[in-house]
Amino acid sequence: MQNFQQNLAKLEAADTQVLGISMDSPFSNKAWAQQINVTFPLLSDWGGDVTKQYGLYSPKYKAARRVNYLIDKDGKVVEMQLDSDAIDPTKTVEACEARKLNR
Amino acid sequence: MNRLITTALVAGMLLPTLRAADKPAETPPPPAVKVGDIAPDFTLTDQNGNKVSLHDFKGKKNVALAFYIFAFTGG
Repeated sequence: MQNFQQNLAKLEAADTQVLGISMDSPFSNKAWAQQINVTFPLLSDWGGDVTKQYGLYSPKYKAARRVNYLIDKDGKVVEMQLDSDAIDPTKTVEACEARKLNR
Repeated sequence: MNRLITTALVAGMLLPTLRAADKPAETPPPPAVKVGDIAPDFTLTDQNGNKVSLHDFKGKKNVALAFYIFAFTGG
């Protein structure tokens, strides 16, 4: 999430809202957001309903896999990075900036 | 000597079976939501107690939705 925070200005300039999401409680997310200075929403999927609906529940971790989705203004998924590819948000930033230019 | 060869042969035959049994755990199934799909809507609570829905941004902004494993981990 730190990587997204570092790129937040670029993403916001490209009309993009960042949402973090995990199966942590809102209390864990609050403490973590304060610790690492994250200013965008960290959503609590307590119980994992959304994680399971997206097919991202990992029985090994008993948690979500690391995945980045880019969803366009019509609600359609236009980019996806999985697992280790999802750590660096550069692709997401580039895709957002490209979409902005193409409008 | 014969026994040794037999043991080695049996072990050699069993090994691929064991590997195959391990495999499903190592390669998780692909996500249910893929590129080109409509992202399923949700309403969840953020770290400040606010309700946030995916549809809040429809027609207004792109959404970078970043699933992470646990709070207090890197990335």
